[in-house]
Amino acid sequence: MIFGKHINRYYLKYAPWLLLGLITLAAVDYLQLVIPNLYQMVINGVNTGYVDVDGVRMVFDMDFLLDRICMPMIGIIMSLAFGRFLWRVCIFGSAVKVETDLRNRMFDHAKDLSRQYYQVNKVGNLMSLFTNDLDTVQECYGGGFLMFFDALLQGSMAIGKMWGMNPLMTILALIPMLLLLGVSAVIGKYMMKKWDIRQQAFSSLSDFSQESFSGIAVIKAFVKEGKELWAFKKLNRENEDANVDFTRASVLLRVLVSLFVESVICVILGYGGYLVHEGVFNAGQLMEFIGYFTATVWPIMAVSELIDMTSRGKASLKRISELLDARQDVVDRADVQPLAGVKGHIEFRDLTFRYPEGEYDALKNVSFTISAGENVGLVGKTGSGKTTLVDLILRTYNVPDGTIFIDGHDVNSVPIRDVREASAYVPQDNFLFSDTIARNIAFSCDEVDEQAVQNAAILADVDGNIQEFAEKYGTILGERGVTVSGGQKQRISIARALMKNAPILILDDSVSAVDTKTERSILRNLRQTRAGRTTILIAHRISTIEQMDKVIFIDDGRVVAVGAHNDLYATCEDYRRMVDLQKLEEEGGEHHNA
Amino acid sequence: MREYLPLLIVGAIIGVFTIIFVVAYLLMKNKKEAIGFDRHMPDGEIMKRLMKYATPYWKQFLVVLVLMLLSIAYDLISPMIIGNIEELVKAEFDLSLLYRMVIAYIAVLLVSMVCTYAQAIILQRTGQKILSALRQDLFTHIESLSHEQLNQIPVGKLVTRVTNDTNAISMMFTNILVTMVKNVFVIVGVLGAMLLLNYLLTLMVLCFVPFVILFTVIFRKFSRAVYRKVKDGTTDINTYLSENLSGIKITQIFNREEAKMNEFLEKSDRLRKAKQSQIFVNGVFRPMVYVLYISSVLCLLYLGAKSIIKNTTFMGQAITSGTIVTFYMYVSKFFNPIQTLAEQFNFLQSAFASAEKIFTVFDMQPEVVDEPDAIELDSIRGEIEFRNVWFCYNPDEWVLQDVSFHVLPRQTVAFVGSTGSGKSTILSLICRNYDIQKGQILIDGIDIKKIKIASLRRHFGQMLQDVFLFSGTIRSNIVLREESFTDEEVWDACKYVNADSFINKLEDGLNEVVRERGNNFSAGQRQLLSFARTILHKPAVMILDEATANIDTETELLIQDSLEKMKNIGTMLVVAHRLSTIQHADNIILLSHGRILEQGTHQELLHNKGAYHHLYTLQYNKQLLQAKN
Repeated sequence: MIFGKHINRYYLKYAPWLLLGLITLAAVDYLQLVIPNLYQMVINGVNTGYVDVDGVRMVFDMDFLLDRICMPMIGIIMSLAFGRFLWRVCIFGSAVKVETDLRNRMFDHAKDLSRQYYQVNKVGNLMSLFTNDLDTVQECYGGGFLMFFDALLQGSMAIGKMWGMNPLMTILALIPMLLLLGVSAVIGKYMMKKWDIRQQAFSSLSDFSQESFSGIAVIKAFVKEGKELWAFKKLNRENEDANVDFTRASVLLRVLVSLFVESVICVILGYGGYLVHEGVFNAGQLMEFIGYFTATVWPIMAVSELIDMTSRGKASLKRISELLDARQDVVDRADVQPLAGVKGHIEFRDLTFRYPEGEYDALKNVSFTISAGENVGLVGKTGSGKTTLVDLILRTYNVPDGTIFIDGHDVNSVPIRDVREASAYVPQDNFLFSDTIARNIAFSCDEVDEQAVQNAAILADVDGNIQEFAEKYGTILGERGVTVSGGQKQRISIARALMKNAPILILDDSVSAVDTKTERSILRNLRQTRAGRTTILIAHRISTIEQMDKVIFIDDGRVVAVGAHNDLYATCEDYRRMVDLQKLEEEGGEHHNA
Repeated sequence: MREYLPLLIVGAIIGVFTIIFVVAYLLMKNKKEAIGFDRHMPDGEIMKRLMKYATPYWKQFLVVLVLMLLSIAYDLISPMIIGNIEELVKAEFDLSLLYRMVIAYIAVLLVSMVCTYAQAIILQRTGQKILSALRQDLFTHIESLSHEQLNQIPVGKLVTRVTNDTNAISMMFTNILVTMVKNVFVIVGVLGAMLLLNYLLTLMVLCFVPFVILFTVIFRKFSRAVYRKVKDGTTDINTYLSENLSGIKITQIFNREEAKMNEFLEKSDRLRKAKQSQIFVNGVFRPMVYVLYISSVLCLLYLGAKSIIKNTTFMGQAITSGTIVTFYMYVSKFFNPIQTLAEQFNFLQSAFASAEKIFTVFDMQPEVVDEPDAIELDSIRGEIEFRNVWFCYNPDEWVLQDVSFHVLPRQTVAFVGSTGSGKSTILSLICRNYDIQKGQILIDGIDIKKIKIASLRRHFGQMLQDVFLFSGTIRSNIVLREESFTDEEVWDACKYVNADSFINKLEDGLNEVVRERGNNFSAGQRQLLSFARTILHKPAVMILDEATANIDTETELLIQDSLEKMKNIGTMLVVAHRLSTIQHADNIILLSHGRILEQGTHQELLHNKGAYHHLYTLQYNKQLLQAKN
């Protein structure tokens, strides 16, 4: 059983199913406990020829055997089979629905979280929310619910029956079981500790092997194989001991549980036998009592398991809640006005920006204007703030009021969707989905228009490559499909952006992995198709931006100079040095490759 | 007729379910079993190879077997005692007789529990010893493989072989085999005990066995099918999640959140359906096994009571209430092992799969090994000669073609050329990380194939381009598990290579923690540490692959200075990227596409105005510009 802000609603939502499951469960538990009673009647009947049914003495003959024992039992068998099926479907079935609901809600929420959230929370951690934690919560909801009620119902019914037969013997039987509960809690804790040590030993062995095999070159170079094996042996030995220690604890627990349970049976046999001797009990009732007692064993053992499960479930639910409660911080303000017919005029007004968790300003007093339809190159060293700049245009972070304007509107006063709708973007890492090439290029569209897709691919100079694949545009990319080269990825990603035909196009270092010839042809296509619309191109290679209308040179978060390439080369010394150095490197590189 | 009604009804119920299950079983499409790994090695061979590790412990296994048999005694005797008590108490009886029986029960219980405990511990110890032996052999074997062989297997896989796969095998020894043997003994023992008591009732119980087996087999097939569906669904959704959470930025910027949500919902729903079908399969089959058990109890009560009421005997055996009580307990002890036996086979299969993966690694023969007549070298002068060496990693893709050069003791040689020209390859050939195809490599005039690899490498100090640091401390990374070095020696080495200045600035000095792969140190610092590591091991020949990574100016100067000093120690071969290193070399070898273009001193080569001259001027100008920056 698990309760919490995000899960309580599901008890209500699936109440009919849970209730039906609960009723079936109660019926199953009740019927199961009828069997020891039938058993008792058979034994007494066999022994004495008579059976006492509710105080009435009846003759034990074939008719009684058939009508009062066999037929009811057949009925019980059928009901049990059906009942056990039904509660599984009801209870476990709703647990699966809860899991699905939660998973969908989690993804729904996650898809709208900002860059900031993803910067702090790594994908690996998020994944474990969707796998391990969700599993645990599901198990707690279904298995925990079942365990709680099954233990409660079966345990109380069985104890009730025992009490009805003989209160003193019931107490005698239950005292050792309570002791067992305490003992198993203590040993269980000890066992968990040993388990942790075991896991620790195993993971150090694993880490050691990982490092040793990764650094094998060093080990071989210094002829340290023997020493390494020696260290490995030591860890191995630790593993051995940790395993044996853990086994000791776990076997001890197992043995103790058997001992306690069986010792209660001895008590029942001894004291019960005495009662029979005294005429309080009869032989059949002795066996009936044992039957009821056996039915209390698992509910009692379930107590500690339930506690353990709940605490794990709570921890998991807490992590899931953290995701579901995470604030979606890059959102529209209440008073935004729709932005339509964007021309592509962008203005930065004295923007100083620091990442939410950052320790220094990533951009300092940045001001510049890009007129609608301009071709702009953005250059600067790695880490100078180029990507931050375009990220802010795309509104992946919040910016102060009055700092960025699109077509004269403050970006904070227009819907984020509209800003993004007006922009097309080619990211630095060229992230593509493992889907067909066509669907990747047509990512921004609901329907794939094959002709448009191919046109975009031609402009990005990647059509030729795609035609060479056996499946052409139907080729699936990524892990389950074809791996394409970095250059091909870049060009597909350019095609994806071109497909959008947006007023603003942003390319973040997007032609770095293609050769100079292809780069030239892509740039030429860009100039032609994007004439009259704003294009911002981040580049490392000067050759990429030489022809641009305007070059923005930034360094260390500041705009150093803005102007045409030739002007900057003539006036800005830093810019000139950067350009010269690059020219030289390219010449050297070409020699090396020659 | 009416008399047999219960049996007929039970038979009919089981019959109907059997027909339904068998039909469903036959209708199910026979999908190929894909456990993700095709087995090639016959089970017999795997068993034989595994047994090699187990045989040294035959005594322990014998003890375990005896203990196990003793612990089974409880399963067999306790129902008898309870049956006897039942017999006793049904009429007038002596209390002391009852207490004696209870004490006997306790005694059997205690003996059995002690045996169970001892058996489990001995078995675990033994299993762990076997596991350790196997692991160590495997580790030694992996270490003996050549660089080329190791490069072919991802490190993750090797780690899995050494850790998880060996664990699966130890599970087999500590758990699976014993449980299987125990189950067989329990089945046989209970069967024998039942036969001893009553043939008729035993026959009745045996009638249920084929159904237990049949249901279990059919259930396994269905449950595997749904399990795979669930697993596929889970993998699918996880892959989708991991990709889309990584690419969420793109989705957001392109305003495609809703489209992605719909895709996710579809996958999520598919997983939900798979999980629900799993619940359905479990819901149908799990109660059925219970139905079989409880039906057999019904038959037991019916047949037992009937024969008493009618006062009949079967083959001379009369049934009493004690018989019924004992059988009631035996039935449950009989059904459980049959069911678990089927599960155990599953575990055994996966243990065998792991074993095969391990033996496949064992079957890789180390490629670079000592020749039988290889000699030990106590010391070397450091003369190195390549005579018309040809080498390739892949057949017919020559990386080195007809390379010849001669290095005199204590000379410094710089190898220069673009990426892929073969300069790094030359260095790894000298250390015999690979064997060459044609030609000869001589150290002090001896063919390196005639020198023991360990003794060869001991005289070489290799400093690789990508410095690998182990997690541990600075000290542990310099001494590399050779604990005999004193702190003074370590400090001397650090001072010699100028690593002392940055180590001194660290809070814990030599004991400063080095994190995984040394990522808490800069590339330059790592380089200096690798110098110290090399110097400490007193090599006669030093081999250096200069780092191309960006190193800050201050460290750069330290490195250059320490390189100067190191030249005095012995022969030095450098894959050079720095002008200063190249300029000060005794001999410069310029490589291109696996061939030597030019060799000679700096002055000679500049004078020739060849490829080297061109390369040099470019480098020179670049450094000039960078200096200004």
